[in-house]
Order: sequence, then C-alpha cells, then structure tokens
Amino acid sequence: MITAEQKPIDEIREMIAPYRRILVVGCGSCVAECAAGGQKETAMLASTLRMAAKMHGEEVLIEEMTLDRQCVKEFVLLLDDVIDTYDAVLSLGCGAGVQSVADMYPEVPVIPGLNTEFMGETKDQGYWTESCLGCGDCMLYYFGGVCPLARCSKHLLNGPCGGSMDGRCEVDPDIPCAWQLIIDRLEKLGALERLEMIYPPKDWSLKQGRGPRKIIREDQQK
Amino acid sequence: MTNNRKPVLALFYCQNVPDGRKQERQSLEKKYGGSLRLFPIPCSGRLDPIHLLRALEEFADAAYVITCPEGACRNFEGNRRAGKRMERTRAIIRSIGLEPERVGMVMGSREAPKGLPEQVEVLMESIFKMTPSPVHHQGCQPCQYDEIPDEEKNQ
Repeated sequence: MITAEQKPIDEIREMIAPYRRILVVGCGSCVAECAAGGQKETAMLASTLRMAAKMHGEEVLIEEMTLDRQCVKEFVLLLDDVIDTYDAVLSLGCGAGVQSVADMYPEVPVIPGLNTEFMGETKDQGYWTESCLGCGDCMLYYFGGVCPLARCSKHLLNGPCGGSMDGRCEVDPDIPCAWQLIIDRLEKLGALERLEMIYPPKDWSLKQGRGPRKIIREDQQK
Repeated sequence: MTNNRKPVLALFYCQNVPDGRKQERQSLEKKYGGSLRLFPIPCSGRLDPIHLLRALEEFADAAYVITCPEGACRNFEGNRRAGKRMERTRAIIRSIGLEPERVGMVMGSREAPKGLPEQVEVLMESIFKMTPSPVHHQGCQPCQYDEIPDEEKNQ
C-alpha cells in the first residue's frame, strides 16, 4: 500500500485560489486504507474547503467524486463525463494518481492534495509503517521476511550494528531493531546460517539508476 | 449589525443517553424550534467528523455530540472514539479559522446521570451566547443574533 497524508489546508487553498470550479477527486485504494484520500476524507476536505470559501466570501464551486483507483486509466476515464464542468482537479490520490489524471487531461490543472509518504502496511487502526523501498531486487528470503533496507534505521545489509538494545533501535527506542527481528525470524525458520553470508552493497541502478522504471508484460497486453 | 437568524445547534446524541426517546426528542424540537436539530445515533462511536463538518457547512452555528458517561458505553469505547473524532474535527475547523468551540462533546456523569432534556438545556444556554458562524454570515462580521425573547427561550 502507498501511504499519504493530507497537505495543510493553507497550502491547498493557495494552490486552488486561481480557480472557481474545482473537483476534489478521491481514490478508493491505498490512500483510502490509510485514511488520507478515500471517499470519507474527500468529502471532509471538500466540505472544509467550501466552508473556508464561504467565510472569505469567495464564489466557488467545489464538488467531490471518488474513483476506485486513480492510477488506472480505466477508472480515471470516469472523469470524462464531468471534467469539462471544472477549472481544476484537486486530487487526493498518491503521486501516481495525480499524474495519471494529469496525463489523461493535460488541459486541466491537477493539484495534489496529499503528500505521498511510503510503501507500507497497516499495523493497527490508525497506524502505518514503512516496509518496502521498492529496490527492484527483493532480498526478503535471505532476511526471513524482514527488509533491513526499509526497516533498519541505518539500512544495514550486514547487521546488526552495535546500537541494538533490548530489541529496540538506538536511533529511536520506539522502532524495533530490524536486525533483532531478522535474527528471531531466521531462528524460528531454522535458517540462521543465512546470517553467515556477506551481502554486497545494493545495486541501486535497479531502482533509480536508469530513470523512471517501467514494467512491460506482453501477456497482459492486448 | 444584526440579523434575524437564530443560532442553530446540530446535536448528535447516543440513543442510550437517559430520556433520549422519540417522545423527549419531539418535545425538545418543539421547545427550541429551528434552533435545535437533533440527530439520534445508535452509539456515539458512530459519529464521524464528516457529520459535524456537514452540519457546520450547511446550517449549524455549532455541532455537538452527547455521549454516555466514561466507562458506561454499551459498546465499551464508543464515547472515547467520539471524543477523538470531535478533536479531529476541531483541528480541521481551526485550520480554516473557525472557532474550535463550535464543535464539542458533552459526556454525562456516571454518578449523577442527567437526561437528554437537562443536558440540552445547559448546552442551549451557551449556544444562545455564541456569535453567528462566519460560514453563514460572511461579510457581516462582527454581527450578532437578534436577542431571543426570554419567553421563547423558556417555552
């Protein structure tokens, strides 16, 4: 899941200020799960913006709509029927969603309403943590399903460091030591020998070294 | 500057609050007329910020929720959740310059429980003292409500 948080209202109001007819577009996927840009949050932001506009005597039309997925063309196409009514779109999708809408409607300003944060998981209600950097070369097998790049504060592939205390990280005691988790997990799996391996530095060219990444699957294409 | 609009309170309340039945609700609506809009909910934990925001946006000068006393929620933590959502809504309206006091929560006392009509009466007194919401009175600040006649207040 891609996580995000809403931008401050002042920043959003500044960005939408030049426009008089604004469509707030939510996304029912990842950002709904992390309570940042789903149907409910979209309704809340639209209502808040309408109130702020009324308080300042601004004549604006602010309406809302939520797509099931903002990053998939087939769902974004649903905007075809309504997009001409508006001067601008305020997107509550992640960065990919914002760009997906902007690519489809290049003549319409698409404004981001969220700050996209990280790829993570829902640990508990209202609690999300980062768990994947999208490195392009997954090594979770070797580390018992715990990613040291994403979850170790120092991103150590050959840990632990000397700062692990009682299973907590020296950077922040609220953070569990990823290497403690790795060792515990490998012990349970009977695979502690994997710790004997020395892992060379990560090949980051797979992540960022060759420009924006893409995946092409011919079997999935028309 | 004055206007002839009376303050309006959107009041959400847990149906398990004493004396919160339909009969009492109708009686309160009759007493306060358009100044009180009551919204019974099965548990205050059902409350969501969008309910409070929509009320403030569309008609209300203030939006409150009445919950069961602490520790007395039949669903264990409905009132605690309502408190968190009320605080979230306060933060939102504060961010656009609206007074946070326009949203609030009243939690009854477990030792000396009060019925809905009693709690509403206390709440309405403070609502009648509130200045009009700038959401519905843009461009006329600082404006005041017309004085509400005592006999109307005491009806």
